[in-house]
Amino acid sequence: MKHLKPINNKALKLEQAAAENRIEEVVAMNSVAGCASTTDPGWEIDAFGGVSSLCQPMEADLYGCSDPCWWPAQVPDMMSTYPDWNKDAQASNDNWRNLGTVFPKDK
Amino acid sequence: MRAITVCGLAAGAVLSACSINALADEGLALNSGHEYMVTTNYPNNLHILDLASDSLYKTCQLPDAFGPGTVQLSPDRKIAYVLNNHYADVYGVELDSCKQVFHASITQQPGEKARSMFAFTVSHDGKELYTVANPTQMLNDRYEVKQPRLDVYATDAGMNAKPLRSFPAPRQLTIMQSGDDGTLYVAGADVYKVNVQTGKFDVLIPSRHWKRANYSAPDVLYVWNQQTFRHDFSLLYTAAKFKDKKQDPATADYLYGLFSVDLKTGKTETTDFGPLTEIYFSGMRSPKDPNLMFGVLNRLAKYDIKQKKLIQSATLDHSYYCISFNKAGSKIYLAGTFNDVAIFDADSMKQVGSIKLPGGDMAITTAQVFVR
Repeated sequence: MKHLKPINNKALKLEQAAAENRIEEVVAMNSVAGCASTTDPGWEIDAFGGVSSLCQPMEADLYGCSDPCWWPAQVPDMMSTYPDWNKDAQASNDNWRNLGTVFPKDK
Repeated sequence: MRAITVCGLAAGAVLSACSINALADEGLALNSGHEYMVTTNYPNNLHILDLASDSLYKTCQLPDAFGPGTVQLSPDRKIAYVLNNHYADVYGVELDSCKQVFHASITQQPGEKARSMFAFTVSHDGKELYTVANPTQMLNDRYEVKQPRLDVYATDAGMNAKPLRSFPAPRQLTIMQSGDDGTLYVAGADVYKVNVQTGKFDVLIPSRHWKRANYSAPDVLYVWNQQTFRHDFSLLYTAAKFKDKKQDPATADYLYGLFSVDLKTGKTETTDFGPLTEIYFSGMRSPKDPNLMFGVLNRLAKYDIKQKKLIQSATLDHSYYCISFNKAGSKIYLAGTFNDVAIFDADSMKQVGSIKLPGGDMAITTAQVFVR
């Protein structure tokens, strides 16, 4: 946490918990039952704060992200929840118009 | 299964237009001494490319769903093992016949759902296959994340393989390679060496826990499990190198580097190779000049490791994830993302060809180049 500053209350609480050694073990990316607990920024800006190191075009990165559940907030989780999301768009560059939005099913 | 689709150089054409249906020959054997590249793509293809003609040699159909499609080859280069079906199963396919000869489910215990995050390989002698399972116990009222485990299978265990041995493993393990003495090298928070008989994990190359003076902890994102002609196990890192103990990020130098294990000797390296100015997803040293380091994502770039300097780069039609060399080190094959393999001359860094694959995206697959 040396170079990170909390900017909201949740982050502040996390920092306090870390200082008091109250943080549970982090198991993100090891929980494969559904991956809504993991999210990363990354399709918005690159590591330099620009866009030139984002994948070009974005479709090139699409299944590399949805297959391993990498950006579940932005793309459907194909590993567990929506495995057939791209069944009508196997070549993303050509068929991306066939990709739809997904919604949780009624319980 | 009997009909394969063959497609030559037709980058930019739509799939249906560029495909021609050829009479199937999944049984077309590979030729001894010839150089091939194997790669996978949606929906369930395992392609073998002939690198003398830079064209599609044949396509094997894989069972079940795609993803990630990572390929690991047996030491005799006769069987391709593929992690697929949404990271849930490993399949072994005999390249000469396209016949499936091995299958193991990453899920092995009752009530669990397990996946392997690119974490599998074949032993140096081809007799065993290693996977790391990340299990979640699916209980009625909650999910319970269980300890990952290293599962060891016999490669002759057939279509319903069960682990011969299982050991508790650290979290966050990804790619791995087997050394010539049987040691398993696995990347995770650190690079571990593993005794596959006892399941003992020892830190071989400290990564998250390195103690390099005035360096930040490294950042590592590397899931391309490449079997190189240099016979090394390598992955990229980025890190900040600070001016002094104040560790001011504003004045730091940001660097690219590589961790590497020589699979013959077990000798390790942690080497910075240049300034961090753009992102590469995969990188590889030239088989003919280990001082030359190449990286790829939005550009193909060449570095002089001793000088720690970018010396040449090439623009690409689109991002590619996965870099490979031919054995001579003269040509570079870029795979992953879409369904075309771009070919570059390693000296001039000019594009010299492209192989359009039937089927959809290669996405995050790992291709392998080999000589039969």
